[in-house]
Amino acid sequence: MSQPLKLRVIARSEVVPRAVMEQAAHDLPFEIEFELIDSVAGLQRVVTSPHTFDVYHQWHTADLIWTARAIQAIDLSRIENGQLLKQQALARRADSRAFGSVFNQLFVQPSGALGPVPTEQIVMLPLQHGVDTFAFLPSALKEWPAGTPHSWGWMLDRRLHGRVAIMSEPVLGMIEAALAVEASEGMTFADVGNLSIEEIDIVADILLRKKKLGHFKTIWSNHHEAARSMQRGTVLQSMFSPAIATLRSQGLPVVLAVPQEGYRGWHVDLCISFAAQGEQLEAAYAYLNWWMNGKGGAITTRQGYYFVSPELVRPHLSTAEWDYWYAGKPAAEILNSPAGEPSVAVGEIREGGSYLERMSRVRVWNVFMDEHTYLVRRWREFLEA
Amino acid sequence: MSKAKPAASRSYYQIVSEALQANIESGNLPAGTRLLVSAVADRLRVSRPPVKRALDLLAAEGLIAPLSSQGYVVGAANAQSDPVRTNLHGLLLQLPPELGSNQGQVSWERIFAAVESDILNCIPFGTFQISEAGIGDYFDVSRTVVRDVLSRLDARGLIGKDRSSHWIAGPFGARMLDNAHEVRRLLEPGALVAAQPQLETAMLIEARAAIDAVLTGNAALSSKTLEELETDLHVTALRTQRNNYLQLAVQLTQISLVINRLFDNYIGIHQSDDMLREHALVFDHLLLGDGAGAAVALGHHLDAEHVRTRARLKVLSVFDAAEIAPYLTRIH
Repeated sequence: MSQPLKLRVIARSEVVPRAVMEQAAHDLPFEIEFELIDSVAGLQRVVTSPHTFDVYHQWHTADLIWTARAIQAIDLSRIENGQLLKQQALARRADSRAFGSVFNQLFVQPSGALGPVPTEQIVMLPLQHGVDTFAFLPSALKEWPAGTPHSWGWMLDRRLHGRVAIMSEPVLGMIEAALAVEASEGMTFADVGNLSIEEIDIVADILLRKKKLGHFKTIWSNHHEAARSMQRGTVLQSMFSPAIATLRSQGLPVVLAVPQEGYRGWHVDLCISFAAQGEQLEAAYAYLNWWMNGKGGAITTRQGYYFVSPELVRPHLSTAEWDYWYAGKPAAEILNSPAGEPSVAVGEIREGGSYLERMSRVRVWNVFMDEHTYLVRRWREFLEA
Repeated sequence: MSKAKPAASRSYYQIVSEALQANIESGNLPAGTRLLVSAVADRLRVSRPPVKRALDLLAAEGLIAPLSSQGYVVGAANAQSDPVRTNLHGLLLQLPPELGSNQGQVSWERIFAAVESDILNCIPFGTFQISEAGIGDYFDVSRTVVRDVLSRLDARGLIGKDRSSHWIAGPFGARMLDNAHEVRRLLEPGALVAAQPQLETAMLIEARAAIDAVLTGNAALSSKTLEELETDLHVTALRTQRNNYLQLAVQLTQISLVINRLFDNYIGIHQSDDMLREHALVFDHLLLGDGAGAAVALGHHLDAEHVRTRARLKVLSVFDAAEIAPYLTRIH
């Protein structure tokens, strides 16, 4: 007896809010099982057990899982609006502002390696991207001189002792910490996205000392914990934008910083398991194409994410939503979070401005550094201190 | 997680105890012979701890009996007469090859390769502390032997001491791989040029055919096959050059082979068509007697393989080591 068709999807909890899961389940003719894993365990599963999933929402590890042969190439001709991606890839070569690392290793080259030259096969379907920054409560900084430019250095500022939080994720956390150390210690790292062993040591030593002094109030691991952290007295911390939507809908006047040193850029994309075949593979393509209809992207726009082809989500957004999230205009009406709670007040303007203004201020993209093993070792030391 | 002890160093005290038991049963070690740990160790040319343990075992089994003064005597406790002080070197004993083969082999050599491989198999996954006592227990060797092994690993740059004087290994990161590659790139092509005149055509033809068999799909690519193909080029072919210093230096730089083996174990056979074609090119030059051409082809192969190995190391960095030798403790 054959089992009823079920598509197995692995993702971090932020990227598929409940509304997205419900919409996909409603629109697609087969069952979808979402497994939300917020730690490195998700990546370990994907790499070692490709037969246990069909689709993976990857973040900054496409090259790694491609090396591990955990995913298969995606046939661009089977993707709705696939040719749009190709055109974008060509156009973006001259303008890296909005996409940065998204297209650098997107296309499967004839040698089997990944590269920027468009071909008919892609390693991942680019979906969402955006910028991350830290957030703060203005009331905690009211004694500071007015007009001080926002800076990552504030993460380590002594005046905020005991009231700062940082995330537990090693790759993203280390990048943010490196930006903070550069700003607060007046140093410059050659490449914040690929720190050397010595540079990792500098950052880790400072973090460890600060932690032992009691600088950090807490360390959070997902957007739920991030929101709770600020509800419980943290005044400045690393932030994921879904937590901003949550906090604002609860009335906490959180401000997302526009750091003078630039943002940390990120993208999340869809990959198909190496083991998917037959009707599982058909279902995987159906799921990818469901995303390309823009409905899912419209939902995650409401928590601050940009979609790979903004024009595809536009029909599913109100004019007020589009103007606020993409155009950088003041909100013409109250805007809701993906959960349907009001999260943006009338007249509010998105920090950092429009889509291109914000994306062009990316200083560094999330990336698995060459010295990842060393980085993780020092990061664990920090977490366990 | 426990793992089987490497065959070469499997239960050393058991080998000793079995050897003694066989010689007692055959009468080579007559009843009444006094057995002192130091004398037995000297006769068998092994260190004392495994002998001590072997004698304890034999006493527990009733084949020998402890003496009230010192040592043991062959025979059951109740059959005891006065122990005979025999010079054990005067006895003709039947000894297994494990004990025979290390005549002249220094104690540290027996376990060096096993310890080195245990450490290399862990450090791509993090930092580990090495227990001297743990190695002694695991391999049944004395502290002196353990220290000898560790100081040699230290000299190779594989391990070091931390501030509190503990032996530490790892992590094996991209920098270590880069460093090894830089030196390997300088040495290995030169070693191949030196080896080329001595290479036998039959060996080259066989190695080339093995590559073709995989490339044409006639032979399945298992991790064993892959390892054999790597050995053909990077070990067997190079070994025919006669400079021992060069030989040792090249070996020290070949740590990328470990990364590829681990990748095969944890993730699956690595993608290898390019690697096979590169190997084939080197052998084609060698078959023509073109040492210089082979060296150029080998240089290209090492560079390309380095890029691929770096990518594989990145995948491994996501994991914790699944199999850790009992004398290693992960610290971060």
